Amino acid sequence: MDGVGVQRAREALDIAHVMANLLGTGLDRQTLSILIALCEHGVNPEALAAVVKELRREAAALSATPSPV
Amino acid sequence: MEGDVVSDLVRQLVVRIFPVVNRGGGGGGGGGEKNSSSNVASSNGSSGQPLRKGSCAAAAVVSESIVDRAHRYAMRIIGSRISPSLANDEGAMAEAIKRQLVQENRSSDALTFADLHRRLSLQSGPGSLENRWSLLYLLRAISDDQRRERAETRGTAFPYTSTLSAPAVRGGLPALPENVSRSNNFFSLGEQQTPAAAAAAAAGELRSQQHSQAIEPSSGVLILSKDDGDVRAAAVAEYVEIHQTETEVTEMALVRDIVYACQGIDGKYVKFNKDADGFLIEETFRVPRATRTLVRRLCEVGWLFQRVKNHISESLEDGPLEAIGTVGQAFCAALQEELSDYYRLMAVLEGQVHNPVPFMLTSDGMKSTGSYLSLRRLSVWLAEPLVRMRLMAVLVDDCKTLRGGAMAGAIHMHAQHGDPLVRTFLRRLLRQVCSPLFEMVRRWVLEGEVDDYYGEFFVVAQAVKAELLWREGYQLQTAMLPSFIPEPLAQRILRTGKSINFLRVCCSDQGWAQSAADAVAAAGASASGGSLGYGETEALEALVVEAAGRIDKHLIQIMYNRYRFRDHCLAIKRYLLLGQGDFIQYLMDLVGPELVMPANTLSSFKLSGTLESAVRASNAQYDDSDVLDRLRVRMMPHSDGDRGWDVFSLDYSVRDPLTTLFTEEVMGKYLKIFNFLWRLKRVEHALSATWQTMKPNCAIARLSLNEGGGGQSQLTVVLRRCQTLRNEMNHFVTNLQYYIMFEVLEYSWANFLEEMEEAHDLDELIAAHDKYLGSILEKALLGERSQLLCKTLFALFDLILRFRGLADRLYENAREVQARSDIALREKAKRDAPKARDGQRRLSTAHLSGDFLGSMGEEMDGLAVEYSSLLEGFIAQLPAQQHVDLKFLSFRLDFSEFYTQQHMGMSTSHLRILRNPLKNTRPSWEKKCG
Repeated sequence: MDGVGVQRAREALDIAHVMANLLGTGLDRQTLSILIALCEHGVNPEALAAVVKELRREAAALSATPSPV
Repeated sequence: MEGDVVSDLVRQLVVRIFPVVNRGGGGGGGGGEKNSSSNVASSNGSSGQPLRKGSCAAAAVVSESIVDRAHRYAMRIIGSRISPSLANDEGAMAEAIKRQLVQENRSSDALTFADLHRRLSLQSGPGSLENRWSLLYLLRAISDDQRRERAETRGTAFPYTSTLSAPAVRGGLPALPENVSRSNNFFSLGEQQTPAAAAAAAAGELRSQQHSQAIEPSSGVLILSKDDGDVRAAAVAEYVEIHQTETEVTEMALVRDIVYACQGIDGKYVKFNKDADGFLIEETFRVPRATRTLVRRLCEVGWLFQRVKNHISESLEDGPLEAIGTVGQAFCAALQEELSDYYRLMAVLEGQVHNPVPFMLTSDGMKSTGSYLSLRRLSVWLAEPLVRMRLMAVLVDDCKTLRGGAMAGAIHMHAQHGDPLVRTFLRRLLRQVCSPLFEMVRRWVLEGEVDDYYGEFFVVAQAVKAELLWREGYQLQTAMLPSFIPEPLAQRILRTGKSINFLRVCCSDQGWAQSAADAVAAAGASASGGSLGYGETEALEALVVEAAGRIDKHLIQIMYNRYRFRDHCLAIKRYLLLGQGDFIQYLMDLVGPELVMPANTLSSFKLSGTLESAVRASNAQYDDSDVLDRLRVRMMPHSDGDRGWDVFSLDYSVRDPLTTLFTEEVMGKYLKIFNFLWRLKRVEHALSATWQTMKPNCAIARLSLNEGGGGQSQLTVVLRRCQTLRNEMNHFVTNLQYYIMFEVLEYSWANFLEEMEEAHDLDELIAAHDKYLGSILEKALLGERSQLLCKTLFALFDLILRFRGLADRLYENAREVQARSDIALREKAKRDAPKARDGQRRLSTAHLSGDFLGSMGEEMDGLAVEYSSLLEGFIAQLPAQQHVDLKFLSFRLDFSEFYTQQHMGMSTSHLRILRNPLKNTRPSWEKKCG
């Protein structure tokens, strides 16, 4: 990617990050960037949202209970 | 290739989200975030992994498996739904997000978000985001999830969404039992059960852990927090299920069909049923009864709409224009305007049906499959149009057979309604409907033109001759009179237009245009009549009153000044009603001898000459020549045996436009009065002529002197009888004459003059004149009620004339005898003839006289008796008359109650004649008159 493209991408990421914060999604930049990449690749956003939610739940569950696994 | 990239990305995601266990307990999801090896779209995610793996060995193994599992899970989720189920509408999504922010009272955030979104969308070219919509969707979904998580951890009640299925799925479905472990959660995702259910299960799991109400604490899977909401929610879920199985047709399809039906078009399921006369869902479709009824009720609008539309199309396109007229057309136009409002609403609704607003994700992620418009929403939307459509349909039904002003009146009656909505609606309609009517009124009142091709105006014109223009040319057609124009106003309107036409046609006067313009200026209405409309009856009234006042005034002025109505009236009174005494006297003197001849020998030409000379001889010559020109002699149609007296009459010719006032009928009445007065005058004339012969003169005196003995006394008796009779008759005639003059003619004339001053318009003038004539006729015993009396009167007149003849004969004979005896005496004196001869001659004259006198006397007696009886009868009948003034006549005639006493008394005729107390009454009567 050329400089302009990179810059634009970074801008877009910034904007998206602010938006995400506004909406209280609790996403950080990196995660958001991954998600954006996935969206750009045409993944269903509903599915992505579900994934995020699930993973978060799982993570919360893991951290809450001491896992014997 | 793509799938690999996706897979790698997902793995990275997983890695990022999952906490690193080796950081110790309590490390939340945020722990992983510190790993800031940023992987922006790097295809090789494995760089991250070794890093992680490298950080801690033991935990890494754990994480690895977990990560793997999570990864697989994630891939399954992603794989289950390839394409999004919502429309790809970025703008709507942004709108939805903003709305949500506003709902949370974060308006400033909403503005910020809008700004950001704008900036994002302005980007273009490489490096910018293509799938902005999906990003927005994603963010929104995640934020919703987050919010729900927070809500759950707080343990507050769930926000209740409005779709049926949300609460059902959210909390209603029990979570999977414990033996279906978490792994099942992962693996069962490929099946029908939506991830929402899994989420619910997981949520339940979590909840159970947190609420600590679980019966089985170890697995903590069952949801047992059964509050009321759950029971209700469960019931609703059952209902939804039943509803969905029963309904073959989706609500959306029904809604769409209803929207079509409301425009009169048959839809797929809802068609117009001729038997039931309404729009029904066809029987073949399986639809619950409640829905059918609801649909039927909603389609009432469509039914009403069809009626209105049919009427409009019938009136405007099919029927001939004469059938409905301009008012009907205006009505249809107004209806069409209302319908266009309706169409607009329908268009909006249709738009809603086809493009539903993307509904928000409900609190548990369950999408609503319904559109924005449901049957109930539709019924709310259609409530007001239903009211209006019903009104229009009622009006259409009522006005099917009416036209013109009647239609306007009927609609006006409908507008007398308590509901302000109805009133304003109908008022609007009426303004349009009545505009042709008001335009017609305005034209009529200001220009006198009836602009009415289809017979809708309440003034109808008839083609009549000029002199009948006023009385019959224009009539009020009450059938077409709208009910908001009261009757007196309508009369005024009619009169104003009539006056203008009258002025224009009969008087050839153009000054009315000025008056009309003044009226318009005064009333403040514009010349085009734009401000006149329904609801402004006061303005109309003001205009009409102004116009009427001015035009009437103008007309009256013209009548008085140009056509000198007053003068003509006065002239008629003077000549036809014998007001000009000296002229009439001369006329009678001159014409009298001629009129004794039979009628067919008389020529009006000769009589006109006599008329002229009479005019010249009297004061009438100083009168206006115009007036005198109109005076002429007229011979009535005569039959055999008529004398000149019966057919002679005067005539006063009147030209336009006074013929409106002095119509044939009116002139006929005048003629009748003239006849009567003429006869009366003739009788009076006759009596006064008799007096001339009867007044004491030396001839008669000498005669009585010369006669001696029986002859003298007989002569005296006869003479006296003659005298008394004459006196009686004279008394009667004079009293009658004076009564006619003072009580009838002058009195009525004075009244008429007064009313003429006050008359404001021609109608009033005509009425006053008619009253004047009518009262004269009544009081002069010429009316219908006095027929009998009239006959008696004429009989009396005849008697008097006979008496006159008799008296004349008597006196002539007496004079003759006297003359003869004079000659004889002179001869005797000359010749000194023997007395015997004279005595014989004298005897012969006396003898002649005796026989003659005897016969005379008898005749006189007979006459007297007849006269008295008639007079008594006449006087007796007078009090019975209705008219109060006739009592005055009886009062005059019988002042001392002489006749009433006679009537009641038994005295003989002989005595009656001898008594002569009438002389006493004269002075007192004169006192009364004087």
